Amino acid sequence: MKRFIITFLALALVLGVGGIAQNAAAQAKPYVAMTTDTNGLGDGSFNDGVWAGLTRAQNEGLVKAKVLEAHAMTDYVPNLSGLAEDGAQLVFGVGFLMVDQIQEAAKANPKTFYAGIDHYYDGAIPPNLIGVSWREQEAGYLAGIVAGYMTQKYHKSSPLLNDKNVIGAVLGMAIPPVERYFAGFVAGARSVDPKVDVRYIVTGTFGDRAKGKEAALALADQGADIVIQLAGLTGMGVIDAARERHFFAIGADVDQNAAAPDYVLTSAMKGTTMSAYILTKELVAGNIKGGVNRVFGLAEGAIDIAPFHQFDSIVPQEVKSAVTKAKADIASGKIKVPSTVAELGLKL
Amino acid sequence: MSLFSSLLTPQLLEAAVRLSTPVTFATLAAVVCERSGVTNIAMEGVMLVGAFFAAWAGWITGSPWIGVLGGMAAGALFSLLFAWAAVSLHINHVVAGAIMNILSFGLTRYLMMVIYGRQGSSLALAHTLQEYKFAVPGLSLIPYIGPAFFNQTPLVYLSMISVIVLAWVLKRTRLGLSIAASGEHPMALETLGRSVVKIRYTAIVLSGVLCGLGGAFLSIENSDSFTEGMSGGRGFIALAANIAGGWTSGGGFLASLFFGFVDALQLRAQSLGIIRIPAEIFLAFPYVATIIAVAGLVKRSRPPAAVGKDFKAEGGDE
Repeated sequence: MKRFIITFLALALVLGVGGIAQNAAAQAKPYVAMTTDTNGLGDGSFNDGVWAGLTRAQNEGLVKAKVLEAHAMTDYVPNLSGLAEDGAQLVFGVGFLMVDQIQEAAKANPKTFYAGIDHYYDGAIPPNLIGVSWREQEAGYLAGIVAGYMTQKYHKSSPLLNDKNVIGAVLGMAIPPVERYFAGFVAGARSVDPKVDVRYIVTGTFGDRAKGKEAALALADQGADIVIQLAGLTGMGVIDAARERHFFAIGADVDQNAAAPDYVLTSAMKGTTMSAYILTKELVAGNIKGGVNRVFGLAEGAIDIAPFHQFDSIVPQEVKSAVTKAKADIASGKIKVPSTVAELGLKL
Repeated sequence: MSLFSSLLTPQLLEAAVRLSTPVTFATLAAVVCERSGVTNIAMEGVMLVGAFFAAWAGWITGSPWIGVLGGMAAGALFSLLFAWAAVSLHINHVVAGAIMNILSFGLTRYLMMVIYGRQGSSLALAHTLQEYKFAVPGLSLIPYIGPAFFNQTPLVYLSMISVIVLAWVLKRTRLGLSIAASGEHPMALETLGRSVVKIRYTAIVLSGVLCGLGGAFLSIENSDSFTEGMSGGRGFIALAANIAGGWTSGGGFLASLFFGFVDALQLRAQSLGIIRIPAEIFLAFPYVATIIAVAGLVKRSRPPAAVGKDFKAEGGDE
């Protein structure tokens, strides 16, 4: 009996391994994968954005794509390594909080490329690891131009605007991506009118909606008629305030017009989808390079501001032309947008 | 000097009242629960669950008033779990409270995906309680405090009414005195034939209703949908407010108002550029103020004698 079982198991093992080998050979298409952060899919932001880039490549027949959702931070390394062991050639890790884990996984799986979303690595980078970040200041700059024009020169376009030439920003925390957005916003507004008054409040949290609302109301009390939210879920409160007190909000990261179509003028967006798609295509073409920090911006088509939706008719052509011109100037390098508040003489 | 006059505006006081409302509800919940002898650290979690179900009920029926009922019911039912754990199963109150907080976060995230299919914020309500803002005739004309306290939205008024009602209940009704006794000397209560278990269950469910109202304020009065984690630590501030208030309804209200005031102050002070210091120092103000208040007042503030102690009725018939 024992001998039968052993023979059976040995046979199963051989056939199984042979099966895997066959499977691997049949996988002619490159295999690209990602792990979400603990927010999972359905976040309407980073996780969805990166997955959309991978599925776009998959739908174009370029790759096979897979996503694993993480439910706790302890899932990050198992997911990242597990996908590599499963045969993925490029694995995306989403979110600032995965910085250490992705470096660990990259060192443990040197044959697989890893891309860290919203990561910028200091010092020596493992040759198979790519940091992916954005020049958020470019999106902030475009939003700042819109705000700069609408708050003063064209304040008669809408009853939501006043003639005080004050705009506002509600920040979550003074972390680099937020600071970049904000620096760009101030620079863009000042490029329209150097005397514009930009007031800002740091709420210290990315998850307290009521606090975001109070911050925006405080800015509105001081005369701000356009307030940009740079505070994640706290920023939803800024949109609440805009809806209640009747002023304009500007969203961030993705097009947030749907949250309050009558009060969200535009949004400063960063293209996680486009960047994921670009990197995937590089893997397929065979010219992906690891061991670097890739920074995406207007020049790569991975930064933009959202359409004006129902405000398209009240935003004057001069403003739209200014935005288009700024995009071209930034992409060509003619304008260099500041990425820190120190360059503007401010302190966070 | 004009910077200060632009800081101490009527809107500041109005913001203070608004910011303190959810904390007031949670503080009243802490008062009623702890006075009955049950240490409650789960206000944060119950408020979150209340916020979720208030938003869901308001969204699905189209009426924010049903939303309020939904929040109250959810708070009551969720805290029944806490009551069963702490009172019937004799689990350590702090442990049971911690479990409730963890459970609330997971439960709301899970239900968020199941019901709405997305993370972050739930779908917006068609109507929120913000539409029902009204000014109390006469009282709202009092300079400074009039507009702040008496030109507000429904749940803000309800929170102030609850302060008065709870104070009266605790001092003047049989239920209230039983609750107080249950927290000071439960054995005496049992000897008189009143069931401590029933009293504590009642107190906990009441606290659940209050936390549910606090949550409802956050999701369907102050905003138009539920956002994950929106209780934002207010349940824990309520613990401090309760202690600073000496386990009384009125004291708790003043303490939570104080916190709301300092919070509103620091937000506005930041943007006025009065002093150029890092934002984090401003952000710490309310919490430092609370620590000072609690440290300064705790000596004079005496907790109920039997709070946190498990009670087993001898030869219990429950």
